[in-house]
Amino acid sequence: MKITLDRPRCEGHGLCEEAAPQLMHLDDEGELVLDVEVVDDELDAAKAAVRVCPVAALRIA
Amino acid sequence: MQRIVVVGNGIAGLTACDSLRAAGFDGELTVVGEEHHAPYSRPALSKAALLEGGTMTAHQLPAPEHAATEILGVGATGLDPARKLVQLDDGTEVPYDGLVIATGSRPRRLSTGEPAELTLRTLEDAAELRRRLATRPTVIVVGGGALGMEIASGCLDSGCEVTLVAPEAPMIHQLGPHLSEVFTTAARRAGLTIVPAQAVGAWEDGGHSQVALADGFVLDAELVISAVGDVPNVEWLAGSGLLTNGRLEVDHRGRLRPDIVAAGDVAALPTSRGIRRIPLWTSAIEQSKVAAAALLRGDDAPELELVPYFWTEQFGLTLKASGHLPLDGAPEVLDGDPLDGSALLRWAPEDGSGTAVALNHRIPVPRLRRLSTPAPAAA
Repeated sequence: MKITLDRPRCEGHGLCEEAAPQLMHLDDEGELVLDVEVVDDELDAAKAAVRVCPVAALRIA
Repeated sequence: MQRIVVVGNGIAGLTACDSLRAAGFDGELTVVGEEHHAPYSRPALSKAALLEGGTMTAHQLPAPEHAATEILGVGATGLDPARKLVQLDDGTEVPYDGLVIATGSRPRRLSTGEPAELTLRTLEDAAELRRRLATRPTVIVVGGGALGMEIASGCLDSGCEVTLVAPEAPMIHQLGPHLSEVFTTAARRAGLTIVPAQAVGAWEDGGHSQVALADGFVLDAELVISAVGDVPNVEWLAGSGLLTNGRLEVDHRGRLRPDIVAAGDVAALPTSRGIRRIPLWTSAIEQSKVAAAALLRGDDAPELELVPYFWTEQFGLTLKASGHLPLDGAPEVLDGDPLDGSALLRWAPEDGSGTAVALNHRIPVPRLRRLSTPAPAAA
């Protein structure tokens, strides 16, 4: 399973980082960086991150 | 606990279902939702969704994976806690061992009887508003809170002439006087007409809508939209014995009883500023996680530690705030300059309840949160 970011949608709320800091972070400019893209070992954390985004900028496929 | 029923299928109900599954609950899970849709993002409805061309997609969330039995388009009408039954408006009863109440709230209305104004809470509301805005009507928005101001901003961006009616300065109850001034200035500059008055009623009159003001004046527009607060959906619990002074007051773990929890816009929770509802996106999510854990693990589950997160987008301004609102007095300017339109601000009252605000300023939200919570003094 891979996590993907729809960058134009992302508003930098960072709620995903709080849900799954081991998978992603916002850089100093507030841009989201996916540190891990293949998330099979962290699927629950990845799902939690996807769910919390109020603009649905993250997907798992 | 074999059967858990979640009443309400917004973000609170969805998060409760997900959290129950994530915690290992593999029993029978049922979610009852009055809306026909899968859960979606309500915050998006008054922001990106109002401005999207073509099909509206900004509100769409990934499909649920909690494998609950979904009863959609059906409302709850009653609860019998002794027999552990939820009564539905299709006449059926659903038994539970554990219950999550997440029935949310609905818009307060200006008009009594036949609705004379639009409100914005559901997907249908947003679709109707988009449809009406396409003809560029003259618009009156009643309500100077975040929702009213976001709607007014979206209507202006759609090319409408917009008047906002609010008894006090816009956003003052949400953000306090300093930021209210910033937002009011931006709104006026964008072309918003602000009428400082209390609206007391609305009605239709020959294809036009009219708004009555407390001083006797009547305003007229082709479209009236009100955003004057929300009312928690608790009527179905009237006979349940769960309400305290008409409110659904939960404990620090979202519980009403060991087998019944509540979360989201419907619940009044203990906060540092008294027992109150916090009808915001992240509040609903955090409450639901805690409530789900408490339903399964009781006192072993953690208590809610909510640091409210609020954001708004209107009139070219994007604001993100971590901490309790509204804010008294002037802030400490950590970066930028509010007059230049981009700033990082902090309010640090003596009671320790700090709040950090990013105004047109991109910042990692975890950093914003750290700024809002003053570091403990070195031992």
